Amino acid sequence: MSLIFRRLARNNPRNIVTDAQILIISSRKLSLVPSLYDGDQDPAPKFFSSNVQILLKRLTRPDFNKVFRKRTNHGFSVLKTPSYKFLTNEELEEEIAKANEKADRLLQMPPVVKIQQHIEDVLSNDPALIGYDTAKYIFTDITFGVANEHRIIIERDPDGTLRSCDHDVRKRLNQAYFPLNGRKLREPLMFADIEKLNSLLDREKYEFVLDRACVQYEPDEPSYQRVTSITYQHVDSKSKYELLRSTRHFGPMTFYLTWHKSMDNLMLELIQGGAVREAVLLSALRQDIHGDVANGDVARTLAQQILPTPVQLTKPETLTEEDIQLDSKCVECIEKYITGTSSMKSQQELALQGFREYYQQLIDLSRGLKKAHGKQ
Amino acid sequence: MSLPPASGTGRYFARAAKSIRLIRQGCTNRPFFHISVTHRRRLNSQPVIEQLGSYDPMPNINNEKLVALNLERIKYWLGQGAHVTNPVAELLGLSGFFPIHPRSYMTAWRNRRTERENLAKLEEQKAKEATTAS
Repeated sequence: MSLIFRRLARNNPRNIVTDAQILIISSRKLSLVPSLYDGDQDPAPKFFSSNVQILLKRLTRPDFNKVFRKRTNHGFSVLKTPSYKFLTNEELEEEIAKANEKADRLLQMPPVVKIQQHIEDVLSNDPALIGYDTAKYIFTDITFGVANEHRIIIERDPDGTLRSCDHDVRKRLNQAYFPLNGRKLREPLMFADIEKLNSLLDREKYEFVLDRACVQYEPDEPSYQRVTSITYQHVDSKSKYELLRSTRHFGPMTFYLTWHKSMDNLMLELIQGGAVREAVLLSALRQDIHGDVANGDVARTLAQQILPTPVQLTKPETLTEEDIQLDSKCVECIEKYITGTSSMKSQQELALQGFREYYQQLIDLSRGLKKAHGKQ
Repeated sequence: MSLPPASGTGRYFARAAKSIRLIRQGCTNRPFFHISVTHRRRLNSQPVIEQLGSYDPMPNINNEKLVALNLERIKYWLGQGAHVTNPVAELLGLSGFFPIHPRSYMTAWRNRRTERENLAKLEEQKAKEATTAS
């Protein structure tokens, strides 16, 4: 942004753009304020409860074409050619089960947990050691087979105090002695420099940012929660949810938005896309997390009916009577949600009205088709 | 020249006396030490029995000196009756694994003494300058 202005200023000298103006313009984009999970309430028990996990996984709406897409050929010197096979029905089912398992692994959500607390654990204090050295001594126990989080890492300060290291030092030393693949010892510039992060977000590289944040940070680090919350808010403000669907980041994003009670834009997008069942699941999710939805129990029982049905990735062409019944129940449920809890009432009502009209046409069409085919 | 083998290649005699010591590995003007267990009668340039850790005596950009200790193996070799040299005992003392080595206390109070003396000298100089100026 600022580059364009500088070029403008260079091209026509009459148009004087001072540096101060440029600064104001570029800082206006930094309006996203990260909100961390640092309150009194711990999100982890809610996030890991089986109800919420199932809802979040279903809301991801995994499309296998996207889940198993080719990303890079990094690490493969030769690309494998796909193999085609004739399979019996049983074998095919087996293969599908395998693919489902693989997709589950690929779509495993990064955990949502409370922000970490500082470690303040003084082991001993020996004033007779003052003056021994001007530098700190840091001792790492490199015993084989100890997990990074349980490793003993302690420091002897110049004032003779022996204490456990804080998280940032622990992370640095763990990375120095036991490097994790892909993690950098220094914070990458794309996270450290807010301008660079914003530029990535403006180019809608959300998945790249979130994937790299997962590698670089631990989920309870303030930096991780800052980067992800900025990214989620950016996605939310641009309504680019489709870019994160079928990825492992959609669940945590939905959880984040619901936790901060700002999921109405997502709800609107779902209704506009005709995914009323997912919209009901979203209100059930809010009921599970906050318990403040107008007819939350109805949404919950409806969610139990929706979950066994297959995910509708495309708009259906014909409808069965059960579908119609379920969808009309969903529409009723959402209507109550909109009047009771929503903060974007008029837009969502409009979208719901649009859906109703479209759905009525679909019902007429499928019933007419049935009649024409001579079925009841 | 290939690096001297860090661990595991030295010949091992069960009943010979062992010693846990610092073995200099860095290059000219850049010391770096391995904490290794080897036979007491063996030179530092010879292959060791096992490497137990490392010590970097030059502070890094955060003004820290990094020490790595494989405590499990150190315990094992201590149990086998290995002798610990003074510099290693000092490090283990600072880490809280051993009691603090007397030499650490000595270094500390000597450093404090020199600092005190330096301060006194500075003050003397200042007093002298003040008298000559007036």
